[in-house]
Amino acid sequence: MPDDLNWAIGGEAGDGIDSTGKIFAQALSRAGRHVFTSKDFASRIRGGYTAYKVRTSVDRVESVVDRLDVLIALTERTIDENMDELHEGSVIIYDGERTTMQDVEIPDEMIGLEVPLQRLAEEAGGAIMANVVALGAACEVTNFPIANLDESLKKRFGDKGEAIVENNKEAARKGQQFVQEEYEQDDFGYDMETTDNDYVLLNGDQAIGMGALAAGCRFYSGYPITPATDVMEYLTGRIDQYGGKVVQAEDELSAINMALGAARAGARAMTATSGPGIDLMTETFGLVAQSETPLVICDVMRSGPSTGMPTKQEQGDLNMTLYGGHGEIPRFVVAPTTVSECFWKTVEAFNYAEKYQTPVFLVSDLAMAVTEQTFPPEEFDMDEVEIERGKVVDEGDLDSWTNEKGQFQPHFPAADGISPRAFPGTDNGAHMTTGLEHDALGRRTEDTEIRQEQVEKRQQKVETAREEEDWDYREYGNPDADTLVVSWGSNEGAMREGMEFLEEEGIDVRFISVPYIFPRPDLSEEIEQAEQTIVVECNATGQFADVIEHDVLERVDRVNKYNGVRFKADELAEAIEEAISEAEVTA
Amino acid sequence: MSSDVRFTDFKSDKQPTWCPGCGDFGTMNGMMKALAETGNSPDDTFVVAGIGCSGKIGTYMHSYALHGVHGRALPVGIGVKMANPNLEVMVAGGDGDGYSIGAGHFIHAVRRNVDMTYVVMDNRIYGLTKGQASPTSREDFETSTTPEGPQQPPVNPKALALAAGGTFIAQSFSSNSQRHAELVQEAIEHDGFGFVNVYSPCVTFNDVDTYDYFRDTIVDLDEEDHDPTDREQAKDKILEGDKEYQGVLYRDDNSVPFEQREGIEESMADIPDGAPEDAMDLVREFY
Ligand SMILES: Cc1ncc(C[n+]2csc(CCOP(=O)(O)OP(=O)(O)O)c2C)c(N)n1
Ligand code: SF4
Repeated sequence: MPDDLNWAIGGEAGDGIDSTGKIFAQALSRAGRHVFTSKDFASRIRGGYTAYKVRTSVDRVESVVDRLDVLIALTERTIDENMDELHEGSVIIYDGERTTMQDVEIPDEMIGLEVPLQRLAEEAGGAIMANVVALGAACEVTNFPIANLDESLKKRFGDKGEAIVENNKEAARKGQQFVQEEYEQDDFGYDMETTDNDYVLLNGDQAIGMGALAAGCRFYSGYPITPATDVMEYLTGRIDQYGGKVVQAEDELSAINMALGAARAGARAMTATSGPGIDLMTETFGLVAQSETPLVICDVMRSGPSTGMPTKQEQGDLNMTLYGGHGEIPRFVVAPTTVSECFWKTVEAFNYAEKYQTPVFLVSDLAMAVTEQTFPPEEFDMDEVEIERGKVVDEGDLDSWTNEKGQFQPHFPAADGISPRAFPGTDNGAHMTTGLEHDALGRRTEDTEIRQEQVEKRQQKVETAREEEDWDYREYGNPDADTLVVSWGSNEGAMREGMEFLEEEGIDVRFISVPYIFPRPDLSEEIEQAEQTIVVECNATGQFADVIEHDVLERVDRVNKYNGVRFKADELAEAIEEAISEAEVTA
Repeated sequence: MSSDVRFTDFKSDKQPTWCPGCGDFGTMNGMMKALAETGNSPDDTFVVAGIGCSGKIGTYMHSYALHGVHGRALPVGIGVKMANPNLEVMVAGGDGDGYSIGAGHFIHAVRRNVDMTYVVMDNRIYGLTKGQASPTSREDFETSTTPEGPQQPPVNPKALALAAGGTFIAQSFSSNSQRHAELVQEAIEHDGFGFVNVYSPCVTFNDVDTYDYFRDTIVDLDEEDHDPTDREQAKDKILEGDKEYQGVLYRDDNSVPFEQREGIEESMADIPDGAPEDAMDLVREFY
């Protein structure tokens, strides 16, 4: 058996699935094992199937696979839902004494582990701890030292008092002992090695929030929406420590306009939302660009269109962030490809926004937002964070940006397209800004020459940024391979692991993961060099593939997934293998 | 803040393109007077304007200013004030801007009670789009899009504000310039959201709610022995359908502005050039 273990707990929403899963994931992470979690959840609070899945290994894990080794099933449906992923030798822990679970049938090739979760929990002090009993049982099954669980139980229940923590430890041990005694002859074949590493465990939304704080974000306004709400919840309270504030607005129209107001007042400001919310914000995209206000607008994508599937994955809003809004809007679109990149790209997003005074779309997706992953803390080395505020002028240097009448020119058409910013309160800097076309002073105009000059000025910022910044991609595999796979956003992990599966099949690929959608790296050479290019993305039409085809004037192949679930590594490898053989047939 | 600021310092050198006689001239002058009177300077003032003839005000005034998209001026103003509570923030717009497309924001800005001033230039018509019914138009007021009149009662913005927990609700008439300026000044001085609905006649598209009409009907609350701190009295005055009042309808002297409740005292503009000193603690939280 490999050291790579896939574990899950599933039941009804409201059964404490999430927090139980989290306790286990944290215990693994504390024990120096890498963890990658994923969630199956429905758009309801109580009832409805939900599961928390943990993949763990001593090596870094960055994706999910179609395999479940140990499953804690709190309901019969949990077993049905996961049947595809269960295999010969999979262990299913369930409470056979529960009336709803009495007739559960475990397929012969699997191991059903009947543990009286509720009864043991009651013995330890309360039925509510049944899930923790199951965790204890899982420790025994997987040979994972149960002491590691204690720390995360303390973290979870610490503020409820020492007694509660002790009861939970006891509950876990009862589960462990039960398996030890009743299944003493069984060896489940797992050996969960631990290491001295101390990892941190966090998800993409939290990484975005942390990136915002590191980057000096002081104002966040948003309106709750899955799966972006975690960004707001993370920042709430924490941002206050640095003199900032989170404001829950009445809707997304308000959220983006408040953030814009704060940005004009000089704060680094951000808003985050998902599908329907980004639609509502669209009108203001243009205002942000036209008024040359720095703003980070985060879209954590979910399945659309309309309210679609709010708790499911999709990368369907790319066109929206690239093209959304009437008229022509200079903008940047940055799409982190891993959870830790969510942190770094957020920092970058704030820098681009302020240096170029234009909206920066930070595009993430549900798969990344809810996935918790382990990292060595150095991966978030705060000393590496640099803050660049661009051309901000004060009383001292304001003069060099005034006209012959001594008026400050906030929209001066500088050669690089970047004008000076004077924060309100700066002496002699008072000026007008508007979404209407305006002159260098910021005043409305319909003068054709000035119009043209200001349009060119704003577009020039993008050109300047193209030159000045590094819009590079990340690359894996064999640079000389015939097959080039390109993806963006959260597909990177699945693809990296998928390459291992492909390798086993003797298939060699070059893989490019693109975190910058606009401006983006020029892939012409890479595509020309390859015999076949396959673009992988979680949407039906291939929005990024379209963009690339447009760039290189060449057809690319597509691997798309749009059922609401992220790519799994093995499944993706298979799809790529198929795309390669199809290309061979047509060639 | 300097004491030698005059109201003309708040004037930009751009000539207004409002129709001659438009009520917005008087409204703006009163705002500038009030700003100067309260000791503000253009460099510590931020004016946010809506979209409409009224919204052009930001261009004709001199201060830090933003002229945004239709109906969203209030959220912008809230963002500005929260990010820098030292600024004097004034939001201005029309009745269409504030009570139609921006009605949701209006209610929520009132209840949020950020310390700023909101001046609505109420001409009971859409001016900039050339004469359609607005939310304050009379039920039978015939316009290009409502040939029989809107057939729905006008909104009562002061009642909305009172119901939403407003802490300062006033009504003025742009033509009574001194009184109007005083009321805006009181709104500025109020600790919280100061709301002033200004009758600001449109001489081009509204031949019903004219200067003559307001002059003939308006009653000053000072002559009515009105106690603005008495909410019941305020409610009665506000709901009296057939009277046009000027003056402070309601004022809550115990109002505490939102940003103060939230503990915001400093400008958020200053940040270090790297991550905060203790930023690694943010990472360690995830152990
Ligand atoms: C989203 C949007 N819809 C419509 C318009 C067109 N529009 C501009 S001003 C206006 C009405 C303005 O009326 P009001 O607020 O009463 O101001 P007034 O012109 O009367 O001062 C409308 C509908 C717009 N700019 N934006
Ligand atoms: S149309 Fe009416 S509101 Fe607009 S400027 Fe003319 S008079 Fe004023």
